[in-house]
Amino acid sequence: MPIIEVENLRKDFMIAKRETGMMGALRSLVKREYTKKEAVKDISFSIEKGEIIGYIGPNGAGKSTTIKMLTGILVPSDGKVLVNGIVPYENRQKNAKNIGVVFGQRTQLWWDLPTIESFELLKEIYQVSNERYKKNMDTFTEVLGLNEFLNTPVRQLSLGQRMRADIAASLLHDPPILFLDEPTIGLDVVAKEKMRTFIKEINQDRQITVILTTHDMEDIEKLCERMVLIDHGTKMYDGEIALVKERFGKTRTLIVDLEESKQRPPLTGGEIFKEEGSRFWIKFNRDEVSASDLIAQITKTHNIKDLTVEEPEIESIISKIYQEGFQDLPDTVKV
Amino acid sequence: MPILKYVDLYFKLVSAGIRAQFQYRFAFFMRIIGLITAYSGTAITMWVMLYRFQELGSWSFFEMLFLFAIAILSWGFCIILFFHFRSLDTYIINGTFDRFLVRPINPFFHFMAMRFDVASFGQFIFSILIFIWVSFEINIGWTFGKVLFLFASIIGGILIQGGLLVLISALAFWTTKSEQFYWVAMYPARNLTNYPLVIYPKIVQWFTAFVVPFGFVNYFPAAVILEKETPFFPAYIGYFSPLVGLVFFMIAYWIWMLGLSRYKSTGS
Repeated sequence: MPIIEVENLRKDFMIAKRETGMMGALRSLVKREYTKKEAVKDISFSIEKGEIIGYIGPNGAGKSTTIKMLTGILVPSDGKVLVNGIVPYENRQKNAKNIGVVFGQRTQLWWDLPTIESFELLKEIYQVSNERYKKNMDTFTEVLGLNEFLNTPVRQLSLGQRMRADIAASLLHDPPILFLDEPTIGLDVVAKEKMRTFIKEINQDRQITVILTTHDMEDIEKLCERMVLIDHGTKMYDGEIALVKERFGKTRTLIVDLEESKQRPPLTGGEIFKEEGSRFWIKFNRDEVSASDLIAQITKTHNIKDLTVEEPEIESIISKIYQEGFQDLPDTVKV
Repeated sequence: MPILKYVDLYFKLVSAGIRAQFQYRFAFFMRIIGLITAYSGTAITMWVMLYRFQELGSWSFFEMLFLFAIAILSWGFCIILFFHFRSLDTYIINGTFDRFLVRPINPFFHFMAMRFDVASFGQFIFSILIFIWVSFEINIGWTFGKVLFLFASIIGGILIQGGLLVLISALAFWTTKSEQFYWVAMYPARNLTNYPLVIYPKIVQWFTAFVVPFGFVNYFPAAVILEKETPFFPAYIGYFSPLVGLVFFMIAYWIWMLGLSRYKSTGS
């Protein structure tokens, strides 16, 4: 049985039209005109226990509106939501015990107090038993290195430290489901890597289901096997990330360093799109020509000093999908 | 969550709030000094005014001080308990209000306990000093019953003023503004209660008795304790103060919850 079920979910917002001028302002006091904005229209998906799902889409696609309906903050206009067997908006407090929520840009910790005090308050709010609290704190302290800043007020923490504290705080009550909204935003490379390792670990060790929204495609690539891609409130893709790569990631880049750059090497099947001194960037389609083919062509006229073949990053794949839509997708992948 | 757990949690959250404020010790003491100075200023204005007229609407200077002290004392408690509601709009605008909705406790309670304004010690010090001073100057004839009634009506006053704060904050659910409404509603209403209502036109008195019941914060109860006349109103009206407070607060809470459910469907 899936741990999260969403069926034909819809959310409309009524946005008051702002009228201009003095008369307009007066008129809007008496009679306001509304325009309907469909933030989420007819989205369905289900998530099994223990999955890590990348929930992605451009800004304003309806990501956070969906998350808000799953966490019980918003009431849907239509459709069905079931989180761990509970309808979140009908049973918000009970649902809250089953979920951990981290908003990357807003802390849930007490700003002016030493970090440890936030944990103690959350222990009371979620009614975590003493032994469970101690056990979790021991684990998190060790894995996330919390002890180096437990007595520092939250406002003095670095962003990386604060994120570590925030994620620990969201897991104190052992929720089976964790919502992560931009958990690596603003972090440096090392801190990002640490955060990802930790998410992976808790997912494996505790079987926690993770719903991850992010703009960092590296997060998706390193953490998720499956992604749900939405745009304009509709689901565009739901499935394996590998499959998207397969379908949209046919373009490779071959980078060669030549010994002497007398002239551009003649090529069939590849296209040089950038050159810097004796280094050339060559774009090619994997289905039409192979990398070894191209290399063989070049070695006829030039000596190759060094070469690399770059796979497309998921990021460029996604932006391609945003631009071109899904018309190209075979029916097996299309949703 | 059982009610006892809530009480326990309230004190834990509140004490966290106090410790948070003590992080800024200088600002804390400056606020207390500032408050006492401001209230003394109002008291001196009263004295200057009454120096000429001897009394205002049959209320002497010390009777007015007594009236003033009741308002300040209940306002002090009100600040401790409900002042945080004033800033609800900020939470809604920058999205931090959602945090209260992903936790397994009542959001009204959670929001209320989130901050604790300790500077109201200024109000306590000021009003207790005034009570003592006035008790020496005029013969109030304190009885056990009168003391009990004073406490009950202070609770009533806390609930009335707190109710208005809650009501004002609830507007933020519809308009995303609450701070502005505070200045146009709460501030004038409180200033009105600095003086005995008898000096105001009948319509104002009627308004403060039955619409926004600030008359029950101090004027009606003080009239009962000091055994003064309340023209246009029966003398026993002051006894209703705790009940009025309870009803008014319950209405405010209900409207706040209504606003919350609106928030849940609009998200802004």
